[in-house]
Amino acid sequence: MSETDPFEAIKVVFFQECDELLGDLEAGLLAMESGRTDSETVNAVFRAVHSVKGGAGAFGLDALVRFAHVFETLMDEIRAGRKPCDDLTVKTLLRASDVLADHIAAARGQADPVDEARSAALVAELEALTHGDEGAVLSEPVADDIAAIEIDLGADEFGFKPVAFNFAALDAPVETAEPELQAWRITLRPHGRMYANANETGLLLRELARLGETAVALDLSALPDLNALAAEEGCLTWTVELTTAAPEADIRDVFDFVETDCDLEIVRASDEASASEDAAAPESEPESEPEFDIAALLARAQAEVVAEAPVAPVEAVLPQLTAEIAPAPAPVEVSTPPAVQAAAAPVPAKAPAAVTIRVDLDRVDRLINVVGELVIQQAMLAQRVTESGLARSSGVSVGLEDLELLTREIQDSVMAIRAQPVKSVFQRMPRLVREVAEMTGKKVRLVTSGEDTEVDKTVVERLAEPMTHMLRNAIDHGLETPEERLAAGKAAEGVVRLAALHRSGRIVIEISDDGAGINRERVRGIAISRGLIAEDAVLTDDEIDNLIFLPGFSTAETVTDVSGRGVGMDVVRRSIQSLGGRISIASNPGKGSTFTLSLPLTLAVLDGMVVTAAEQTLVAPLTAIVESLTPRAEDIHHVGGHDAVIRFRDAFVPLIDVAMAMGFRTTPTVSATGVAVVVENEAGQRAALLFDAIQGQRQVVIKSLETNYQQVEGVAAATILGDGRVALILDVDALTANARRQASRPELKLAS
Amino acid sequence: MTDHFSTTASDARELIAFRIGEQEFCVDIMAVREIRGWTPATPLPRTPGYMKGVINLRGAVLPIIDLGVRFGLTTSEPTARHVIMVAHIGGRMVGLLVDAVSDIIQLKDEEIQPTPDVASDHVKSFVKGIFALDGRMLSLIELDRIVPEIEAEAA
Repeated sequence: MSETDPFEAIKVVFFQECDELLGDLEAGLLAMESGRTDSETVNAVFRAVHSVKGGAGAFGLDALVRFAHVFETLMDEIRAGRKPCDDLTVKTLLRASDVLADHIAAARGQADPVDEARSAALVAELEALTHGDEGAVLSEPVADDIAAIEIDLGADEFGFKPVAFNFAALDAPVETAEPELQAWRITLRPHGRMYANANETGLLLRELARLGETAVALDLSALPDLNALAAEEGCLTWTVELTTAAPEADIRDVFDFVETDCDLEIVRASDEASASEDAAAPESEPESEPEFDIAALLARAQAEVVAEAPVAPVEAVLPQLTAEIAPAPAPVEVSTPPAVQAAAAPVPAKAPAAVTIRVDLDRVDRLINVVGELVIQQAMLAQRVTESGLARSSGVSVGLEDLELLTREIQDSVMAIRAQPVKSVFQRMPRLVREVAEMTGKKVRLVTSGEDTEVDKTVVERLAEPMTHMLRNAIDHGLETPEERLAAGKAAEGVVRLAALHRSGRIVIEISDDGAGINRERVRGIAISRGLIAEDAVLTDDEIDNLIFLPGFSTAETVTDVSGRGVGMDVVRRSIQSLGGRISIASNPGKGSTFTLSLPLTLAVLDGMVVTAAEQTLVAPLTAIVESLTPRAEDIHHVGGHDAVIRFRDAFVPLIDVAMAMGFRTTPTVSATGVAVVVENEAGQRAALLFDAIQGQRQVVIKSLETNYQQVEGVAAATILGDGRVALILDVDALTANARRQASRPELKLAS
Repeated sequence: MTDHFSTTASDARELIAFRIGEQEFCVDIMAVREIRGWTPATPLPRTPGYMKGVINLRGAVLPIIDLGVRFGLTTSEPTARHVIMVAHIGGRMVGLLVDAVSDIIQLKDEEIQPTPDVASDHVKSFVKGIFALDGRMLSLIELDRIVPEIEAEAA
């Protein structure tokens, strides 16, 4: 068991990387979809797939490797400009990336094995795109067990059916399609970086020799005089004449890991000039004696290099030899005077390495906790100093102020560590949109913006679910079918926008569609038929729109697979509110609707109103508070003798004496002496909470009560105030719900 | 939680002795993380009488159990002279309010006598055994019994 552990650990890292790579892949493909088909984007996509394949190969994840290989082959064709990067291709690639993600999930053991037929169908599609124009299906060494045959080139994008697919002994007959020998000229000029990355030219040349007959020529013309020689730089250029049956992709594969670190040119020698092939023959010395005396040749090469520095194309040197002199002019240095060594100043490092590190989340959380304590301790200290009556100009006070600034900065920085761009959630959405679009038969384009908006990890994690719900709703209920859209004079393709932005210390997420908007007549009708509103209720447009958030409301006429289980928007609303957020809707008939989510940037701190009740300090979450007022005796009435209500803007809302409700006091206070805070609970019901006094508004660090104790009814969490004492954060929902239906125990919502 | 400790060379366990009113009790020293003076606690609503509330222990919210009330003894309002033993019970940190901590004692397992029948069932549920020390009688407290009941009563 212990033996496999390190391996497993590496595997875990691989899968973590896969997640990132899939993200890059998706982002790149979407960029391509929007028309950005520059080589940088295409290369990024290629690299992502390639890295997945490479890692998967190392772990023997065959299914994944096979799929990734086909994917990669097509990407390579596009990269080389041999295949167009058209709409059909990108759409196929996007679906392929979904399947790739499924393969990875399956390899990870997180999901069921990928549906063979689905995977195979995509493989076929990819291969059709890869080989389509060439007509002949070239053999693919890695894909040896995937023999795709008879691909219908005319098949349309969605019309693909799993094609005949043989995993068994099909290899021989199909691949005997007489590979044609071709001559290639490969020019390789390694940069110093390639050697620094521990790659050797010799090994590359040896790899090439495996593909076919090679003739290698070394060009020393770029080699400077000894005194000008930078030892770490590469000055040598190799020209390889290769005659092989292997396709270009295989040749490129050889240079896979060094491509970015060298100048590489691969041309079909037969294409440019037939003469070059003839020329290659006499020049080359295609000998490959295994008992080759490296030492002797090395000595010879050194002598050559030292003696006649800049030389025209030197006699072809054997691959085995180049392996030795490849680590650049290192051997030359042996006979170099010290002065030259000094001149060979270290090459300035190009392109700094990636500046991220992986850190265990636990460590970050611990750091955040400790910093939270530091903040509290600092506040306590400041309070003590103030109490001690020291002058504000005293050294202690001044130092303390600096400490406060520093503490705040530390807290901000630490919170920034855990902050994540919403990208990770946004990236999951295109796939969802594709799937929902396919299921509903609608054409949808997802436009996202503000992916880099950062928000605390705890919030990011909990964004996915409500966003998924809302996107589904936007497509399923919001957008019309292509026919309806055309009839309404809109483009057949609907647009769903997903945007994230920061607004006044909160993150705002907008999900808008350009569909039909909310059918208010129907919403109203449904609300009446479900008994949610009275038949003669007079509602504003806004109020009708908001009816869709009521529990048990579903406008879908038929319950679809996608949405419409009657748990739609009220679930979204509840999960948003449990995050301390709010959701609103704006709808424009015929033009579409926009849902706006507003969420706190973190769940670790909360904006609260610090209040006093029966000498206890309490915190009421600011998000729940509508208004605070000083109650007048004539506004307070009693229903049935003791249930107090207060008049608030022409409506009577229950008045809850918090000190009584929390059991801090057993006799009611004189209502008129306190402060009433009108709050709205998640169901939109209002109540007035009666406190003794309001201390002020403050940001507080949320501490869970459950860590060492348990949930307490009416208390959402706790916090620690500047005086070091614990203050309870009120659970407004539980308090108001309790007042409304005293007999039943309300469900407690906890914010931490 | 004390079993592994009895296997030490001396075959003795170390206990912290404390006082509530006139009575002396003790708990395994391994369960006690720290001992601190009483600071006013923030009361929690709708909790049993022995829950004095919560205090801030270096950033953590620590529930305080008044052991005197828990054992059914009469206690007075806590003063600055009272002591909170911060104990680790079943994965949680709990503060135990007692009158004073008196001693650290070593005790061999065989010196422990079973709780006599005269004690009420309520007391017996917390007391693992009793033993004599210099003419005094100390009750060995089973800490695990103190927390689970909180959940049972309040849930």
